[in-house]
Amino acid sequence: MSLAEANQPISQASPMAQDALPFPVVTTTLDAVINWGRSNSMWPLTYATACCAIEFMSLMSPRYDFARFGTEFMRFTPRQADLLMVMGTITYKQAPILRRIYEQMAAPRWVLCAGACASTGGMYDAYCTVPGIDHIIPVDVFIGGCPPRPEAYIDAAIKLQEKIKDESFMRERLGRLRERGEDIPQ
Amino acid sequence: MSIYSNNLAPANKASALANRIKTFESLAGFVSLQVDVTTHQGQSAIVDRKDLRTAVLALRDKLGFDMLVDIVGIDYLNMTGYQGPRFAVAYIFKSLHLAGQRFQLKVLVSEEDAVIPSIHDLYAIADWQERETWDLIGVVFEGHPNLKRLLNHFEFVGHPLRKDYPAQKRQWLSMNDPMLDQLSDRLRQKGFELLDPVPVNTPAVEDIIKGSRQ
Repeated sequence: MSLAEANQPISQASPMAQDALPFPVVTTTLDAVINWGRSNSMWPLTYATACCAIEFMSLMSPRYDFARFGTEFMRFTPRQADLLMVMGTITYKQAPILRRIYEQMAAPRWVLCAGACASTGGMYDAYCTVPGIDHIIPVDVFIGGCPPRPEAYIDAAIKLQEKIKDESFMRERLGRLRERGEDIPQ
Repeated sequence: MSIYSNNLAPANKASALANRIKTFESLAGFVSLQVDVTTHQGQSAIVDRKDLRTAVLALRDKLGFDMLVDIVGIDYLNMTGYQGPRFAVAYIFKSLHLAGQRFQLKVLVSEEDAVIPSIHDLYAIADWQERETWDLIGVVFEGHPNLKRLLNHFEFVGHPLRKDYPAQKRQWLSMNDPMLDQLSDRLRQKGFELLDPVPVNTPAVEDIIKGSRQ
């Protein structure tokens, strides 16, 4: 097989060339592979300030087994985490800290906002409570409840996986390259 | 069991009232006192702020009130039927060896001149209690060594428990509160040697924008 022939996309390769390969071949897109990997290895960083985190403890236990969704490793440093889980009331005093932790996370990063307090401020309609962390950082999935049941966390994880599978790594990369001024035809 | 509660059994209520009247009369031998008519059964004694330290010293050393339970700031703004200065600060005392002995002192101050002498040297707990009262109500405690905010952030503006502070007002804060000024002093007192912090290398904006292209 010539080099030009080998560099051809396999789907366009001739049936003869496929037959000639000594191993089975699956054709797919790069996006599908990357999203499959990302959506099944969301390593969480917990930002736990209140009782929603108590539900998170049972969520990580064998009964609910959150690790099934790829959140196997709890990372206690933002540098190694993909998923920031904010569980509990966020006050204005904490807001700069939460913002900074989010900024320290490497892309791609996702935020899961659990419970009434983190989503809306909850019952703390006061001078000191942030009315929803979406005022500080972008949020991908909100979970209602006070506190939410572990089933709600699992539902949110599935929703987030669907969202990740919708993303396109190649399109984002193209946008980044265009931002940097590289001349890429439309 | 508090004498400020209305849910006491009648016998206890009567003895608590008798205790309070006895303390009031004893304390009136040291400083001039008034009965606070705005509270239930005159539960607190009003003292002028220039007599506060004398009254607290008499309570602590002569009458056996060796515990300061709380310092409470009160804002009387727009209170129905109230005439008088806007702010009050109430000091609640308790005796550890005389059963059932409690007493409340109150100091009234106006908004323009909200200054009260500090009692941090008489009761150690008053240090933080006065900082909290200053933080939330805005009464200044004269002579306090470190009168800075206790609960709110150092960038916070205003005193949130004042009745005219807008309840829905939100304040954005730019950084976290390091509290290093106090911490480093405490560490030095304990004999630790503090190294100079590593200088932070902040890149210029142009370098960030250029990024990996250069």
